[in-house]
Amino acid sequence: MHGEYKVPGGKLIVVDLDIVDGSMQRVTLSGDFFLEPVEALDWMAAAIEGLPVTTPAETIAERVRTAAAAAELLGITPEGVAEAVRRATQGDVP
Amino acid sequence: MIDEQLALWRAYDWQLVRGAALQPVMQMALDEALLDAVAAGHRPPTLRIWEWAASAVVIGRFQSLRNEVDPDGAQRYGIHVVRRITGGGAMFIEPGNTITYSLYAPASLVAGMSMVQSYAFCERWVLEALASLGVEAWHQPINDITSAAGKIGGAAQIRRSGALLHHVTMAYDIDSARMMEVLRIGREKLSDKGIASAARRVDPLRRQTGLPREAIIERMIETFRSRHGLADSPLTAEEQSAAERLAETKFATEEWIRTVP
Repeated sequence: MHGEYKVPGGKLIVVDLDIVDGSMQRVTLSGDFFLEPVEALDWMAAAIEGLPVTTPAETIAERVRTAAAAAELLGITPEGVAEAVRRATQGDVP
Repeated sequence: MIDEQLALWRAYDWQLVRGAALQPVMQMALDEALLDAVAAGHRPPTLRIWEWAASAVVIGRFQSLRNEVDPDGAQRYGIHVVRRITGGGAMFIEPGNTITYSLYAPASLVAGMSMVQSYAFCERWVLEALASLGVEAWHQPINDITSAAGKIGGAAQIRRSGALLHHVTMAYDIDSARMMEVLRIGREKLSDKGIASAARRVDPLRRQTGLPREAIIERMIETFRSRHGLADSPLTAEEQSAAERLAETKFATEEWIRTVP
């Protein structure tokens, strides 16, 4: 499943994932944002991997924020990632 | 620019690399090789002016290949698809239509600056060069060079091992129809721009200046040289072979191009 969210004044966040037995699997993040270090992309995806599809957006944002605490994010926000996840899981493709 | 900022640039012995046209995959590799060379102290801070040997789509480090590139469109026109080491968005490159350059410097050049401040700082000299050609352009956060008539270009940076890479592509001219056949530009991306057409967002330098591409590049080099100092410095054999190695072992590999599938 696929969700996209353009952070206002920021960049595009894209989430692709599968839902297996009610949990989010094979989560990948992509987009035209900036991240340092580059490994933060995997840290954030890992923070979402395996979560129940019913996980509230606030919880997803908080987990992403914690995972990326040591990284510098530009054009991408934890709340934006959570919104892209919400759109992916609800089949809300723009 | 205030004197204090000029002094920051003047603290370095700037070198100019301006070589032959290179294949897109070598451009990606040379960017990394020269960033590494500056980080290791093997090369002084450097401005490189790129010449492209082939058309390309250059996608950002974190972009999904399949979301950004139309493979049929790229194949139809023999367009190379490469991934760079910096974040940011996809660019459609045609050799005569693009002005691309890189700065490689110690990260101390932008010490204490936020990422957005550092983009603005690294673009000042280009904005001055454009202003001298009658183009009033400015830095639009996060990473755009824009003008009243439309966007001119985009920048991307990476800081690594104490060194900074800042590279910029500006549109000299644009084949919007072909760009739309090669890039996938979704509606969501344009959602807060208020403009229906991605192509219409760009106003290239050819239209804005009426000058040959070469004349704009010459003015950029003159401006940099007079503000910051600039000595010619061809690539060394070591740099050339490091770039060739990186092209072969990294940038040309499917693993790298599909690192975000």
